[in-house]
Amino acid sequence: MPELRSFIRLCAATAIGLALSTGPFSAQAQERELKVGYMKNPIQDASLDIMEKWAKTHGVKLTRVPMAYSVFMEKVTATLTSGTDQFDVIWHNDDWGQLWKKWLDTTDDVRGIENADQWPLLAFWNDDKKLTVVPMAHTVGTFFYRADLVRPEEVPTTFAQLVSVSQRLQKEGKVKWGYVGGMGMNNTWFSLWWTMWANNCDILKPLFERNNDKLVAAKFEPAVTEPCHREIVEFWWDAINTHKISPPGMTTYGRNEANAIFMAGEAAFTLVDSTHFGEFNDPKRSKIVGKIGMAPFPVGPRAQKPTSWNEIWGWAIPKGAPAERKQLAKEMLSAMMSDEAGQIEMWKKTGGPPPNVKLWPKLAAEDKDFAALKHAVFDQTPITHSAYYFAEWPAVHKAYSDMAIAALSGKREDIPKVLAEHVDKIHRAATGN
Amino acid sequence: MIEHPRLFRASEKREPRRPRLFHLGSFLRMNEKTRFMLALITPAALVLMLFQVVPILTGANASFRDWTLHDPKRTWVGLANYIHVLRDAEFLAIVLPNTFGFMIATVSLSLFFGLMIALMLNKRFRGRWLVQSFVLLPLMVAPVIAAIMIRWMFNDQFGVVNAALEGLGIAPISWLTQRWTTFLVILLTDVWLWTPWFALILLAGLQSLPTEPFEAARIDAASTWRTFRYITLPMLRPVMVVCVVIRSIDAFRTFDIVWTISGGGPARATEMFSLYAYVESFQFLNLARGSAAAVIGAIIIVIFALLLYRILNRFVEVSR
Repeated sequence: MPELRSFIRLCAATAIGLALSTGPFSAQAQERELKVGYMKNPIQDASLDIMEKWAKTHGVKLTRVPMAYSVFMEKVTATLTSGTDQFDVIWHNDDWGQLWKKWLDTTDDVRGIENADQWPLLAFWNDDKKLTVVPMAHTVGTFFYRADLVRPEEVPTTFAQLVSVSQRLQKEGKVKWGYVGGMGMNNTWFSLWWTMWANNCDILKPLFERNNDKLVAAKFEPAVTEPCHREIVEFWWDAINTHKISPPGMTTYGRNEANAIFMAGEAAFTLVDSTHFGEFNDPKRSKIVGKIGMAPFPVGPRAQKPTSWNEIWGWAIPKGAPAERKQLAKEMLSAMMSDEAGQIEMWKKTGGPPPNVKLWPKLAAEDKDFAALKHAVFDQTPITHSAYYFAEWPAVHKAYSDMAIAALSGKREDIPKVLAEHVDKIHRAATGN
Repeated sequence: MIEHPRLFRASEKREPRRPRLFHLGSFLRMNEKTRFMLALITPAALVLMLFQVVPILTGANASFRDWTLHDPKRTWVGLANYIHVLRDAEFLAIVLPNTFGFMIATVSLSLFFGLMIALMLNKRFRGRWLVQSFVLLPLMVAPVIAAIMIRWMFNDQFGVVNAALEGLGIAPISWLTQRWTTFLVILLTDVWLWTPWFALILLAGLQSLPTEPFEAARIDAASTWRTFRYITLPMLRPVMVVCVVIRSIDAFRTFDIVWTISGGGPARATEMFSLYAYVESFQFLNLARGSAAAVIGAIIIVIFALLLYRILNRFVEVSR
């Protein structure tokens, strides 16, 4: 039958074609290549640009594989545990630092790592006390305000002032909203959590403890029904419903929606990673270019001095990558850590603070924005880390987020009840039950 | 002369055959047409096997084991994950009611609007092709794109829906902060996306109906409503049954638009079955529990689809 013969010939031709395109005859197979799995973000792209310079001079093809933030951790975790060599370098974050510790190569031997800040590295040590990350930029929660509307001496230093200054600006018709920040899942830092730490509170007991042994000894007991925690949920309920300084839809906002409102000039204050500073000053996207100030976090009724958080975004090397590519990746990351001009350029282009902290004093002296950030964040003492570093942390985050949003979506008088109802869920999430 | 296959008598003794998975001889003895058909089917069967059957079996295997995403120990735990899911108050009190409520609402509304549109397009009028193309537009939009668009349309600050409401003097609504308004937005999106599909299939069904019963009804001076009620609807029911069953199964596993619009929130108030399995697998990182939820969901939907098909089929038989 001629059709069968034609069909078989077609199949054979396709198979030969595929073999030629992927096999030893392929020219591409000869080229040295490093594949980087990352989140599409100006800072990560700027860091990759630094690495690209090295790659070009060393005949390495750098392939960028962008992924959405919402699926990044899940997707890369699945890739790491499957042992495939899909990526040679991946974006790493303190939130999942402990989750990946056994799947990542160590990075203590990367040149320039000694110039990194030690505090944010806590999440990234493996069980052999070896490091599994190379910092890319610091991600620090930063309280941004509209410098054209609020003089430095008027910037709120307490929660109460945040409400009163916001209401004044709203009454004067200068802004539609006082404060806007992300609140939905994976954006909890930009509303609930900064106020929680700024009110001397935390998610689990003992408060501010990040030593996993001590948390296990305390049986991962949630602190969410403590008065200090109830107060911050009530603060946000009032901010949205009573004082109306925040949009009613804020419980659903991610950072993009909150940033859109701030960049549209409709809110006076926000708190988000400093890494968005570049975006706020992008004339193509923002109406408030050059009108943004930075200040320390306002404090809650239970705190005396401002707190901060200071973590990093980093790069990591999967264990599953072939040895020669791992070595190549380390050379590239060493070049990135040693490229001072590149790191300064990254800060200027994107607002991502350089991973080499030895550059900071010099940068603060010559750049007023970095000086402001240093005062707002780096000069303040963090009360704790902005995440927990045990494997079940993402589940705890989700359980916490569900609790907080449920409490804020209901009646104010039901807040204590909702918080109490979720204690067991957070505990079960923490213990993996 | 046609050769009949030889018939064995019961008294005849036959050598016992050794079972073989693949008999090259019998394959070669197949006629060329059969081999050609098998060759055509093989790529699709391989794809189905690799991307459907193997993952399902892997997932089912994982559901009986201790299998977290970050540290897959793979130790056998029996039915523990199934028991956990079936005892989970969220699964029973929120996820299942949401899933079935959504399925019933979206299928009913899409069927109703799809039928209306199909009836309209079945008539001849000027510019019908234009209306037809316009009505079918949602079918060309990827659900995730549609959901992102809808999320911004219903945004409480920048959304066109609130802008329109404000134009009418109605206070803006925070659509996505409460369970039922969020549910409504998700439902509207799904109905908008799927109504054209119903319309298209029902239109094809309408155009294939015989003309004689309609001519007889016209001679008997039957009203439009009676013609629709007693002729069109009963004759269209087999097509509607197929549509309803297929779409119900599909609606049961809806993920993309819910995830994009609400993420299952506020809190877990609009979480549906697929999201539950996703959250367990990829947010709580418990692949085993997520797989158990998926298997439970598959069993539920198979039973539901069989029941639905039987009920609707009987309905069709009775109407004949």
